[in-house]
Order: sequence, then C-alpha cells, then structure tokens
Amino acid sequence: MDVTGLVLRAAAARPHVLLATLPGGTAARLEAERVLRLRDWPLAATPAQADVLLVAGPDCPDLRAAVNRLWQDLPAPRALVHAPGAGGVEPALETGQARLGSRADQRPRAEEPGRTTRGGDAGGPHHQEPRGGEDHGEGHAGNGGSHDDGDGDHHHAAEARHGDSQAGPQDHHDGPEGHDGGNGGTGRGHAGHEGHGGHEGHGGHEGHGGHGGGGMEMPGGLPMADQGEDRDGLTLDQLHVPLGPLLADWPAGLTVRVTLQGDVVREAEVEEPPWSDITGREAFWVQPWLRAAAGEPVGVGEAARRRAAAHLDSLARLLSVAGWPAEAIVAKRLRDDLLDGAPGASVAPRLERFARRVGRSRTLAWMTRGIGQVSTEEAREAGVSGPAARAGGDVTDRYRQWLADIRRDVGRLEGPSPLRPAVDESPRGCWRDDDPPSAALIALLPNLLTGAELAAARLIVASLDPDPDELAAARGTVGAHD
Amino acid sequence: MTEAGAWWTLLAAPAMLLALAGLAAAGHAVLAARDAGRPVGPAAMVRPFTGVPRALLAQPRRLPAPDVLLWRAGVITVPVAAVLSTLVIPFGGVTVADLSVGVVWFNAMEVLTWAGLWLAGWGPDAAFPLVGGYRFLAQGLAYELPLMFALISAATGAQSLRVGDIATSQQGLWYAVWMPVAFIVYLAGVLAFSFLGPFAYPAGRDLAGGVMSETSGADRLVLRAGRWLWLAAGAAMAVPLFLGGGAGPGMPAWAWQAVKTLLVLAALVLALRRLPMIRADRYVEFAWVVLIPLTIVQVLVPALVDLNR
Amino acid sequence: MSGSTAALSLLGVAALAVAGVYGAAWALRLSADPVAAAPFGSGLEPVEHAVSRFHVRWYTVTMLFLAFDMEMVFMYPWTRVIPAVGPGAVIEMFVFLGVLLAGVVHAWREGALRWT
Repeated sequence: MDVTGLVLRAAAARPHVLLATLPGGTAARLEAERVLRLRDWPLAATPAQADVLLVAGPDCPDLRAAVNRLWQDLPAPRALVHAPGAGGVEPALETGQARLGSRADQRPRAEEPGRTTRGGDAGGPHHQEPRGGEDHGEGHAGNGGSHDDGDGDHHHAAEARHGDSQAGPQDHHDGPEGHDGGNGGTGRGHAGHEGHGGHEGHGGHEGHGGHGGGGMEMPGGLPMADQGEDRDGLTLDQLHVPLGPLLADWPAGLTVRVTLQGDVVREAEVEEPPWSDITGREAFWVQPWLRAAAGEPVGVGEAARRRAAAHLDSLARLLSVAGWPAEAIVAKRLRDDLLDGAPGASVAPRLERFARRVGRSRTLAWMTRGIGQVSTEEAREAGVSGPAARAGGDVTDRYRQWLADIRRDVGRLEGPSPLRPAVDESPRGCWRDDDPPSAALIALLPNLLTGAELAAARLIVASLDPDPDELAAARGTVGAHD
Repeated sequence: MTEAGAWWTLLAAPAMLLALAGLAAAGHAVLAARDAGRPVGPAAMVRPFTGVPRALLAQPRRLPAPDVLLWRAGVITVPVAAVLSTLVIPFGGVTVADLSVGVVWFNAMEVLTWAGLWLAGWGPDAAFPLVGGYRFLAQGLAYELPLMFALISAATGAQSLRVGDIATSQQGLWYAVWMPVAFIVYLAGVLAFSFLGPFAYPAGRDLAGGVMSETSGADRLVLRAGRWLWLAAGAAMAVPLFLGGGAGPGMPAWAWQAVKTLLVLAALVLALRRLPMIRADRYVEFAWVVLIPLTIVQVLVPALVDLNR
Repeated sequence: MSGSTAALSLLGVAALAVAGVYGAAWALRLSADPVAAAPFGSGLEPVEHAVSRFHVRWYTVTMLFLAFDMEMVFMYPWTRVIPAVGPGAVIEMFVFLGVLLAGVVHAWREGALRWT
C-alpha cells in the first residue's frame, strides 16, 4: 500500500498558502483571498507554515530575489505558482494543489541531490546588488517570463502550469553561488556556538565581546547583533529587522527597515520603492479615478463602491494585525461582496453589525488608543488629505473614521452622477497624478514608527494603510504626460 | 482516601484530554466557517485535522544557527505539561492521582509553559520568534498572579489543596456563584496559558506567527496541539474548582462532569473569537492595578467564611 | 500506585505520544535532507543573529512579580490552616498582602507598569 501517496493526498486537501503580493497585484490578491476564504485554505504568514507559495501580481524584477528567498524556505511538500492577474488565481491554486498531492511532483525535488548545497546565505546583503538579484530571479523568470503582455487573462492558466517553476530556482542556486555546502555551515555553527560558550566561561560576560564579527567566523556566516544607544540611556544590542516587502497584512512591496531594541523600534527607514518596471501594474483601488481623469465616464456609485471596499480591505488588515481574525474575515467577506456588485441593501445589515461590533469594541479601542497620533493639522501639513487627515488622532480614530466612511458610501452605491476625480476623494485622499495620497502617508511613517513598540508599529502602518500601487500609477501617468 | 486511580486512568486521562482538544479545535473551525461564509457541516469540523498528515510529511528545515535542543525541548514542554496537568483533574470521581497538593501541581504545570514558549521563541535564532517568546513572559507577568489568586480562592473555600476535596466541598453552592471574580479571572487565565484568541500575543499575526513563525512539521503539530490541549485542560479543571465537579441531579457524576466541561470549553471557544488580541504592554498595568487587588479581595471572602465555620 | 509513580507514568505516556509523533514524522517525511532555510525576513536576508541581549523593558515588573511569587509560597499552605490558627492567620496574611499592594501602587505611580 502506498502510504506516502495517501498521506500526500490527505495533506493536500487543505493547503496553507503563503501569498506573496507583488506591486500591482491587488486584484490578484483580492481574488486569491476570496477563493482561499471560500475553500478554507488558510493564509500562512511565513514559509515554514506554508505548502503553496502563490505569487500574485505581474512579474516584478526587483522582487524576484525576495520571492525566491521565500520559496527556498518552504519545506516539501511545496508548490510555487504564479497568478499575474485575478483570472489566473483559481487555475494557479488548482495547479498548486495538484502538485502537492502528486508524488511525482514532490519526490524528485525533495530528493534532489544538490538541494542542500545552497550556501548558508553568507552573502548577506546580496539581495541589494542587482546582479545577485537577477541570478536569484532567473529561475523564477522562467515561470513569469511568458507574461510580458501582462493583461491577457487567458495566459494565466497556461502559465500557472509551468512545470519548471519547481526546479528552476533550485538549479540556479547550485552553480553560481559556489559556497561550500550548507551542511558545512551548520557544522561550523555548532563549533562556533561552543566556542562562544567557552569564552563566557573564561571571561564572564566579556565573552560577548565578539559582537560585530571583526573577522571572527560566526555561526551561519552571520555577525552577532551590534550595539547602539537606547532611549533608556543604555547601550544595548539592536536587531535590524525588515518589515516588507513580502509580509502578510502589509502594503505590497513597501519595505521598512526597523532597528529594534527589545521590541521597541529605535529607528525606521522607509526604502524608496525600487520598481524599475511599472508596465502592466494597475492601481486597483484608484482605478475609477484614473479612468475618470482619462475622460471615461465613471459614476459616483462605482467610485463609492470601490472606496468602501478599499476601506474594508484596510480594516481587514488592521483587524488581522490587531489579532482579531474573526472580525477580519467578516470585513473581507463584506469587501468581496461589494466588489462582486452586491446591492447596498443586501450588504447593509451585515455591515451594520460589523461596524457596531468593531467600532464599539472597548478592548480594541483600549489596545489602539494613543498609538500613532497624527492631528488633522499635522496631516494636512504633510499633504495627507484622506480619512487619516479627517480622523485626526490615533489608530482608534482612524479605524472609526473608516467605519463611518464605509457606512456613508454603502448608502450611495447607486449614485448616478459622474465622478469628478479632482473633487471626490479617492480611498486614501484626493487623487493627484503628481502627488498620490499614499506618498504622503508613506512619508509620515518614519517619524511615527520611531519609538513605537513593534506591535504598535504594525498597527500604525495598518491604520494608515498606504497603497504603494498608487505611486507606480502616478509615475505611469506622469511619464505619459512627459 | 486513595492517592491514585487504577493504571488505565494513565491512558484514559490523556486520551480524553486529546478528544476534548480535538472537539475545541473542530468547534472553532465551524465558527470560522460560519463567519467566512462557507457551508457549516461535518466537513468543516474535520478540515483542521488535515494539518496532521501535512505535519508528518514535511521535510525538516534547518536555519543558519538554531539551538535545536532548547527549541525542541521548549516545543515539547507545552503539550507534555498540559497532559501532566490532567494528573489531578478528577473525572466522575476518578483521578489519576488526587494529590494532596493538586492545585499547586496544576499551577506548576501551567508555569512550565513559560519556559516552553520562551525556549520555543529563543531556539530558532530568528527575530520574530524571539520577540514572541519574550512577549509570552510579559503576558505571564500579567496573567499569572491573578490566576494564582483565583486558584487560591477555591482552595481557601475548601481549606484544601486537593482538587477532589474542592469539588466535594461545593455541595449546594458552586464557587463560581459566590466567587465570580475568581471564576472569570481563572477562565481568562486559561485563554492566556493556551495563548489563544485575545491572548495570542506571543503568536500574533503582527509577528508573522511569533513563536510559531519558524516551526514546521512535527514541531509545529506538537506546539499547536499544546495550545488546544491546554485549553481543554483548563476547561476540565474549571469544573472541579468552580462548578461543583460531577455533582448534579439525575445523571451519574461522569455525565455531569462531561456536560459541564463541554459547556466551559464552548464558552472559551466562543470567547476567544469575540475579542481582539490584548497586548501585554497594556494588560500588565490593568492586571496589576485592577485584577490583583480584586482577586485579593476575592480570597478574603472565603477566608472570612472559613473563620465562621 | 502512589502519587509520584502516577506522575512519572503519566510523563512516560506523554513522552511516548510525543515520540510517536516524531517517529511517524521521521518515517513519513518526504525527504530526510533538511531545507537550508533562512529566518523569515519578509523576503530579505537576515543581517545578523537574532539571539542577543534582548532589552526587556518590563524588568521592573519582574521584581514585583518575584515578591508576589514568594508570597504565594506562603499562601498555598495558609489555605489549609485558617480555622486552626483562627483570625490571626487571616489578619497576618492580608496585612502582608496590603504591604505588597502598597509596593504595587508605588511602582504604578512611578510608571513601572508601563513601558511603551
């Protein structure tokens, strides 16, 4: 009896999906979240928890290395699938599940001899050099490469079935890296550890003195944490942790590098979105405004629907980060129904219940009170024009503002008058091609995050919820004007 | 009074705990299905358990420099401590070992999760689990003392640390009725040491899973099972401590015990979906300034009653 | 069966069950070759080891906690002797608790229970 085959199929009944949303992949992400919700395939937060890595959105050369990093970290049984657009999601997931349950697909990769010879990532920062990034990404490009036209939905199914996405990144790693094996790496790791312990035995705490490396070979090829001034007036170890680009419940592609001391953010640095190629990226949430600006007739009702859905999406993110998955899923369901064109009357009662439960939750307000203070004046000065500015306050005020806006918008889903893109507010503020509202929101981040606890930092980002897609869209339209 | 039950209780207690934990997980899955707009049915109940074959198949992962020994020790500690806590939980008059210090034993096993989760966070040498591990310690500083005072309230009421005595001393009036603060604080403590729902702080989504973010395969299965086993153990313990054990009219003791345990478990599963995550940086203050004084006053009530007996 | 025998046997049963899980995983796993993974960094590589001297900002709370934890050591046996010792037991215990609570109030006013 083929036990492994049976178990494989049983395990593939409910795959955990790690969703890597690329810039411009909002439509694909929304579709993926909808399908996963209906199929009861949980959304994983890290590669260790995942079976399927679903890359949602048009291929992004700048993030190939990051996608590849996640893919390397997935344990078998695993499958990598790519859905450039919303239409490609369902077939991609089907393919992923089929691959998970198929012995033929799992076995060769799992037993691939070269598998562990990948270096222990000693290169450290090689994700920053474009060449290294390309090296990493090429295998992936084999998968994503055929979709250079980006928007033809009929391509996606075929693409998702690309067999080589399995072996691709692997093949690439054996050659060019040329590190001596990962096995050796661990061997060293252990030796290093013992040496470290020995040090301590001799010199008490001074054994830690080797912090920062200084030529000493460190376990795993990584230096120990270095030290820095702390706000409490002490000199303490600090950790450098990137938030984004591919993080669950996080604006797709946004990267904030935080320096942590304990779990408090000492410094936050927002990276310039390095997206060299913006063709085929659409800014899903501001689409009606872009279309109206381009002269197409767009109704106010459609815009209100999109705006309400965008706020529900942001709320779902905030609730997820705030650790309330039960209400986050309700928000996502409302969002999906709105995007599906459900009439306001059918959504309103459920929305009312949701808004009451979340808006009046004392616990949620207690947990978010005083975090990320931005007064209306400060916000206006920084160029923020949307709900964040109108709310004028902390995270609590901002999510309550969203709830109020959603209630108002759901009341006018059938508005027939034409949308005036310069007057009617887009989800994150007044839309301007040269200065999209999300740019101002992102500019607020470094100051707000500094000094916040890590959980509070996540709440701040989620409560502002900038949409990096807007930046690409703005650049696209500005470029077209030139 | 005999100290210990027959040999078969050694197998029955863990088996029943596992069944309860499974029921809790299944119930949770059904509620999740309802909220997500999926069909609610037996299929929704069994779906979480596909995690078992998933975990067994998984290829091992090796991080650059993990402390495998401590990591695994921490992961295993959580469910093993939950199983050990059943040693003193009576079920229908039968206990594996009705220790004279049963309450202390339960408390000690629960405190083992502090070590377990911190080690599970430390082991992988990764930032998010590390922060998650420390988060549990901060959470522990908040929930532990009120929980201890709640346990002591029940013990003071019965003037005994033997769980069986506490159950039998509630003839007529449950401790839950005249020590409501202790009962509620105890239930909150159960959610806290099983780090679920509002107390999922160490495994928060904002940390990409915190202590769970780097565990995979069997480690992950064992750690996740530990959460639900603790929830089940906490629910089972609530019955002898606060709800009169197996006492009740018309039905045998084991039936009453089962009914009460399931009701407590259902209440806990419902509660863990109703609240957002409570972060320790806010909860510590509340616990020390509000809960500890309240529970101390709560202990005073049975102590004064004792004096008048 | 004495209490300690029962406890050890139960530990044995639990250990066997855990060993069974790991054994099954060992037998069924698709590959014995571990994946050389990196700690999750949202797609970026780690730049240093995460294990470090972690600044726990709630360290003052641990001191308070220790005081109360020692108090618990007295309180557990205390529950059994209240009627035997009489009102003195209750008075002494709650005066002691009151002293500790005064400490908590002081720490609270100093802001020791808040760190962010």
